[in-house]
Amino acid sequence: MTPMTMDAVTLAVLRGALEQIADEMDLHLIHAAMSPIISETNDCAHGIFHPETGETIAQGRYGLPVFLANMQFTVQNILRIAEAEGGFKPGDMWILNDPYVCGTHLQDVVLVAPHFIDGKLFAILANTGHWMDIGGGTPGGWAPKSKEIHQEGILIPPLRLYEGGRLNEQMVRMFTANVRLPTEIAGDLTAMTNVFAIGRRGIDDLVERYGAATVQTCFDELITRSERQMRSYIADIPDGTYCCEDWFDNDGITDAPMRIALALTVEGDSLHFDFTGTAPQAVGTINLARTTTQSSCFVALKHIFAEVPVNGGAFRPTRFTIPDGSLIAVEYPGPVGGYLEVVGKVTDVVFRALAQAIPDRTPAPSFGTTGVVTIGGRHPDTGRYYVGVFPYPGGYGASYETDGLVHGTSPQSMANFMSIEMSEHRYPLRFDYFALREDSGGAGWHRGGCGSEYGFTMLADAVTTVVGDRVDHPPPGILGGGHAAPNFVRLRTGGQEWKPEMGSKLERESLGAGDGIRAASPGGGGFGDPLTRDLAEVERDLNLGYVSRPTAEIAYGAVIAEETALLDRKLYRLDVAASLARRQSLKTKGTA
Amino acid sequence: MGGIVGIDVGGTFTDLFYSVDGVSAHTTLKVPSTPGDPSRGLVDALTTAKIDPPGLDLIVHGTTIATNAVIERKGARCALITTRGFRDILELGRRDRPHMYGLTGVQKPLIPRDLRWEVDERLDHHGAVVRPLDEDGLRAVAQALRGEQVEAVVIAFLHSYANSAHEERAAVIVREVEASWEVVTSSGVIREYYEFERTSTAAVQGYLQPLIARYARNLRDRLSGWGFDRQTLIMQSNGGVIPLPQLAERAAYIVRSGPAAGVIAAARLAAEAGFDKVITGDMGGTSYDVAVVVDGAPIIAETTNLDFRVPLRLPMIDVNTIGAGGGSIAGLDRAGILHVGPRSAGAVPGPACYGQGGTEPTVTDANVVLGRINANDPIGGKGGMALDVDAARRAVDTLAQAIGLGIEDTAEAILSVVNQNMAGRTRLLSIDSGHDPRDFALVIFGGAGPLHGAALIREVGIHTMLVPPAPGVLCAMGCVIADVRYDLSRTVERRPEDLGAETIAVILDEQRRQGEAKLHTSEARVRDVAVSHVADMAYQGQIHPLRVTIERGWSVARIVAAFHEAYRQENGNTLGDIPTTIVSLKTIVLGVRDLVRRALEIPPPCAVSAPASVRPVYFGGWVETPIHRRDALMPGMTFDGPAIVEQSDTTTVIEPGMRARVDAYGNLLVEVAK
Repeated sequence: MTPMTMDAVTLAVLRGALEQIADEMDLHLIHAAMSPIISETNDCAHGIFHPETGETIAQGRYGLPVFLANMQFTVQNILRIAEAEGGFKPGDMWILNDPYVCGTHLQDVVLVAPHFIDGKLFAILANTGHWMDIGGGTPGGWAPKSKEIHQEGILIPPLRLYEGGRLNEQMVRMFTANVRLPTEIAGDLTAMTNVFAIGRRGIDDLVERYGAATVQTCFDELITRSERQMRSYIADIPDGTYCCEDWFDNDGITDAPMRIALALTVEGDSLHFDFTGTAPQAVGTINLARTTTQSSCFVALKHIFAEVPVNGGAFRPTRFTIPDGSLIAVEYPGPVGGYLEVVGKVTDVVFRALAQAIPDRTPAPSFGTTGVVTIGGRHPDTGRYYVGVFPYPGGYGASYETDGLVHGTSPQSMANFMSIEMSEHRYPLRFDYFALREDSGGAGWHRGGCGSEYGFTMLADAVTTVVGDRVDHPPPGILGGGHAAPNFVRLRTGGQEWKPEMGSKLERESLGAGDGIRAASPGGGGFGDPLTRDLAEVERDLNLGYVSRPTAEIAYGAVIAEETALLDRKLYRLDVAASLARRQSLKTKGTA
Repeated sequence: MGGIVGIDVGGTFTDLFYSVDGVSAHTTLKVPSTPGDPSRGLVDALTTAKIDPPGLDLIVHGTTIATNAVIERKGARCALITTRGFRDILELGRRDRPHMYGLTGVQKPLIPRDLRWEVDERLDHHGAVVRPLDEDGLRAVAQALRGEQVEAVVIAFLHSYANSAHEERAAVIVREVEASWEVVTSSGVIREYYEFERTSTAAVQGYLQPLIARYARNLRDRLSGWGFDRQTLIMQSNGGVIPLPQLAERAAYIVRSGPAAGVIAAARLAAEAGFDKVITGDMGGTSYDVAVVVDGAPIIAETTNLDFRVPLRLPMIDVNTIGAGGGSIAGLDRAGILHVGPRSAGAVPGPACYGQGGTEPTVTDANVVLGRINANDPIGGKGGMALDVDAARRAVDTLAQAIGLGIEDTAEAILSVVNQNMAGRTRLLSIDSGHDPRDFALVIFGGAGPLHGAALIREVGIHTMLVPPAPGVLCAMGCVIADVRYDLSRTVERRPEDLGAETIAVILDEQRRQGEAKLHTSEARVRDVAVSHVADMAYQGQIHPLRVTIERGWSVARIVAAFHEAYRQENGNTLGDIPTTIVSLKTIVLGVRDLVRRALEIPPPCAVSAPASVRPVYFGGWVETPIHRRDALMPGMTFDGPAIVEQSDTTTVIEPGMRARVDAYGNLLVEVAK
């Protein structure tokens, strides 16, 4: 085979075909799943993996970023476990949700199946899907007071769900007996199983068309090519070690901050992520499994180098040092329910480390807390049990390219915020306001995006749970940009407003009619020195209410020439010459 | 009976389709568009076609003017008035970002924050008044807005779909303050919940209304100046038409109407030809638009994103677009793997073969290098303009050297990659709608479509490709054959058992009455009125409802059963005993136009006439290939690939191993030979 001819055409076409197979697996599950969380927020992933190394060959483009590299690390773990038990056999399918092996949390159930062609292991297929319930102390999860994994649900170690093509029905009965939604869970399991037929058929068609040897060669070649591509981007990053640290407010049990530390070394065309110095695993749920920590680093890289395909080659030029038993390599029986908070923080420290090296490509950290406010109870109109989930929106960090986005979804997800009108139909509550949170984006040459704020009042008794972070440690800016406003949560019960003891973590607090919640999400960090921001932009931000007058004057060095009013709104005109002078004196003071 | 003209005004070309019987083409042509005043290009097309105004009954017209105004942010300066506490709904959206990967970018709200105002008022989700409308406060806001040079005021209150009284009263007050404003209420545009989507839809309407009102006046005057005073209808994105006098109030309905017209025409031609499941593919210079039609009905999207955080929640034909067209540029990524698009050479400089300074290889250049496009008689070229084959070869050669292949093999590789992109999207779209793509026929059109259709059916596994008689002006043809259409909707969000069959019937009757009244006042000439009903339904707790066709008078049990069947069709299963919800009730009132419905006999097979010429075309090697003129192909003629069919508006490639025949309607049907 002449390598270049194979490369240009067959590679392009085969890569397209393999990605198409993975995409079609995604879409088939999204359509067939029972759980709305899969069918409506795409909380799933599918991939094709290398038969010997377990590296990703292609992953579907509809699934969520959080599963990006996590799938490969899971498959590699299963490959080792299966080998120890005699290796993969035709007709086998493994199942697990053990976070210490497959990352994320118990709700994400993973299936792994070998695909044999002519008696030889040709590829590995895997998928993951979020089940609506996995047993445990609270319906659907979110139990921030858990201290061990068993309070969060049933733990499925790597098991053969199918052996030689035969389903272990007893095992299925064991699952369905331990979850609150047995019919739905059985349906999701069937749907996830059926999707493998799509993957197998797609691969078989390719083999028939191009020959097994060509397809196998392409697997290797695609991984090598992606590695080369990733290395070419890393080689563009100046060599050096870039350090940063960040803090979690607390673990929801004890109000003490926990450190995450990263020393990122760029050496030629490789990266070394060293998390030495990160706090030991938490007693509470603010913990992350090693595989998802690694995956989160790749999510950050993919947000910067979006054009690199999701392929094991892209993961090769990296090395990790993650202390065992730390909150980013949690060990049994540490709980993991708050893992999304940790995912967000890992992404942020990677951005901040890389920002020191390639500021023109790296955004400042975003709002950085993926927490949720949940409301549950019996609806007085229907008598039926309801659970309302409001995932946190917030501002994005500013970048060299643009100001930050207002009210973004968390970088590892694509899920939307609920419609207010729809929420009022479904839950006994009334929104008092839902607004852009003024002055919440970090100041900078480019300003961080604003977060948002809302308040609602209950019309009937309910129970609320809140999981969040970044109350005491707001999202930082980069390159001299300011930090964003911190997270803010207040409860109102019996006419009194109060702050949760753990800042933004709260489990099963009772609310009555007339009680309520106010929440305000952080904005994103600023990018660059605010004293260099275009004054016309500062004036526009003031008049749009994105920044307040004190911020304009203090952080941006603006001098107001004229203030007028239109009804209750103030309108400002800046004095450009005086503003430039004030900026000059602030700079001098800053350096003095 | 006089003639009918369909005119589709696109970004580059204005297409005309003139018919005497209302479906077969008498004259088709393309003239350059005149973006400054699109109505000028429209009259240019009419005069170029030498149409005699007195002999013309009807002009039906599609336009991109609304789409462009939104994308380029060239609409009116508008103010928005909302419920107190909620003015930012339009800007916040529902927590998203522009792309899955990459965190940069911002949105540009159609109405900026300083033009968004709040007044005291609040309804609950049943439409009951929680706080009355503060009329004095509203007057003060309206007075303040008089100094803000706005052309339109949009009023969007929470839960107005359940009770429009506050919005309607507010509109009266705002008009009292300033009569020259266009005033839009959210419940007047769409009576459905989801405050962001409804407010955005109303903002799009307000943003477009002044502009479209001016355009409608302009067009009427210009047509009148040309000598035409009879009826003009305008194409909507739902696949139906409305009369010109109603255009301004329906401004938001004409966004992306051109692609919708193409789907309508493709669906109609395919139905006549005997295909009930159709994928329509429209490939032009920069993009490939693909849609799915089942049993003659195009799949409808309830919400379409016009831009990041600019959703339009109106029923629109679900046309999916990817960046694959004749101008798509081929290159290598850092992994050394070939990519085609989405970057496009556009109209300027265009493909290298246009000789306007383009040097990067495009899909069109690849087609020229392979001899598929006739360089001496290209489409859209006005007599005499020839393509620069050497420039195309030079452009492809730079890529060929980088990957170590010959020029022709590189050109074929470019086509393989772009065809795979289009085939992939085509498959995903049909899977997404719960269908197997292999059960469909492909209607391929657009200037570049028939060059690629043969490869697409091979890739997707589709049996038959249908190339219409005038594939380059199919959108203009769609205008001619579309019915008058009004969509009405109302969110109820209740369990069907709680709502009851009687209430459902009352709501549907009211919608029917409103639609028929609109049809009546439109004075559009229609043969018949067809009314159909839809319930948007979901299992309780689900976010995305399904469109379920229902009939007035059905029992609750019958409606629920129809939902279960629709759910099974789309998802392959049902969720058993989980209760269902009727989210919205909808009515479609069609004014069926008096058009010829053809039903022709299958023509006996006959031999194809001698090809006009023979030239070498590259199919894995140079093959002397017969070149047929489309107008020499008569019903019943059958021939084998490889072959090329040329006509003024496109070129059709029939690959080796495929067989083509002309059906009774002049469609070219191409199949993979068994």
